[in-house]
Amino acid sequence: MSNRLSRVSSLVIVSLTYLFLYVPIVVLLVFSFNKERFPAPWTGFTFKWYNELFHSLYLWKAFANSLIVAFFATLISSAAGLCLVFYAAQGGRVGRYMALFYGNLIIPETVLAVSLLSFFSSIKIPLGLTTLVLAHTVLGLGLVVPILYARYLELDKKLTEASLVLGATPTQTFFKVTFPLLRPALISTALLVFIISFDDFILSYFTAGSSAQTLSLYILSMLRSGVSPVVNALSALLLFLSSFFVLLFFSLKTRVRIF
Amino acid sequence: MKSSSSQIPFATGAPALIWQILFFYLPLALIALSSFIQLSETGEFEGLTLSHLTNFLTPTYMKVIGSSLLLAFSNACLCFMIGYPLAYFLAFSNKKYKNLLLFLLIVPFWTNFLLHIYAWFYLLEHKGLINQLLMSLGIIDTPAHLINSRFAIMIMMVYYYLPFMVLPLYSSLEKFNYSLIEASLDLGASWSNTVRRVLLPLTSPGIRAGFFLVYIPSFGEFAIPELMGGDKFMFVGSVVAQYILGEGTGSLGSAFTLLSCAILLVSAILLFLAIGWILNPRRHRV
Repeated sequence: MSNRLSRVSSLVIVSLTYLFLYVPIVVLLVFSFNKERFPAPWTGFTFKWYNELFHSLYLWKAFANSLIVAFFATLISSAAGLCLVFYAAQGGRVGRYMALFYGNLIIPETVLAVSLLSFFSSIKIPLGLTTLVLAHTVLGLGLVVPILYARYLELDKKLTEASLVLGATPTQTFFKVTFPLLRPALISTALLVFIISFDDFILSYFTAGSSAQTLSLYILSMLRSGVSPVVNALSALLLFLSSFFVLLFFSLKTRVRIF
Repeated sequence: MKSSSSQIPFATGAPALIWQILFFYLPLALIALSSFIQLSETGEFEGLTLSHLTNFLTPTYMKVIGSSLLLAFSNACLCFMIGYPLAYFLAFSNKKYKNLLLFLLIVPFWTNFLLHIYAWFYLLEHKGLINQLLMSLGIIDTPAHLINSRFAIMIMMVYYYLPFMVLPLYSSLEKFNYSLIEASLDLGASWSNTVRRVLLPLTSPGIRAGFFLVYIPSFGEFAIPELMGGDKFMFVGSVVAQYILGEGTGSLGSAFTLLSCAILLVSAILLFLAIGWILNPRRHRV
């Protein structure tokens, strides 16, 4: 009886939650097609904000910077994570170092960001794309290493043992048996790191300097300068992009937990 | 396999470890260290001092840390209260809807969060849609004060951090054997007893993970309070940012970072123990 009651109430909570999540987004999308600037009411349908968006040079520069940073951070952290698992597969005792990578969860990102900023300025590395990649790679390692290593531990050891018994070297075993088994997890973690780096705001805010603007920092400057329907148009574009990424992530079916 | 370890160079494992130490632990150590260092006006080393730290042991700064703790705690609790029923529903709902609902949960989560702040401006502003709606319905005459308030900060915090809570809860609940609930109910336990003594204790890893995934970053959050609160409220993140980005206030910033991190860690350990105590099924007497 009360079980059914709780079912009904959870249905209500779930619908309200999704309403809470999507009302702002829908409003944003609707007003990206409005002729007049906000807070004017609906006056007519237009594509002019999208047109303005595609002609905004700074925006595309920031977009490209974000892509570059996310790409390199993903590449470096995935490669380093894979190397560490390779070392583990060759009998290296990696388990005792794992605790090092959980630090990323205990320290707030703001603290890491300000620490990196004072670190970079004290060793005189000029802020820019390089420092962004260095910082975002740390973010990536905190995800790649624990997820990939946990996945490695879950693998069926009989398969690698069979390979070794049948005469393959440990290196051959890694590349012919272990790596193919890890590949789906590697791809989905890389996708996760890419998205998180691409959307990251806090680390970028402190480690970008004035020369390299990322998309998040560009959006911040637009927010500070007031409401503009161009931001709505940008939101539509980015929502479309993230839907695509989420679908891609789902289609991998690797059961990598996002956390 | 173990026997081959001596022949394999440590070099393959090293890059990840070196990177982590060099760009994570070293900067943190540097911040901790520089909060004890007294520099002269020309930037030269003068000696060790505690004055940077003691500088912040005043009611004003304790209030800042306190309001950050409160913000993080209330955010984590609200996310849990909204997120648990949602995760429960997702885990035990029809497979057809499950994927769609998960998709709808993750899409905003994977979209730049500044855009969500922007979206809430639309709704909460003075001439925003909520005020327009309420006024046209005749519920209020003058626009309600929604933006630049604690309410606006809280809404945005929950909005952004909810998936951090729901996803670990979901993966914990998905592994939960539903027949245990049925068994408990069949054996005469009430629904609330079943929740408290079966469901919650057995999903405690997810609850812990979700709670701290929300609690820790919320403590340092500075974009949301600044943009939704309109500089009216001071939290740890904004104070740290001000000092670190300011001219010549670097060591003060470091000291404040160290102090608030220490308080955060102590509070996290206490909360960890408290959650363990609350979720312990043996706590209840029959």
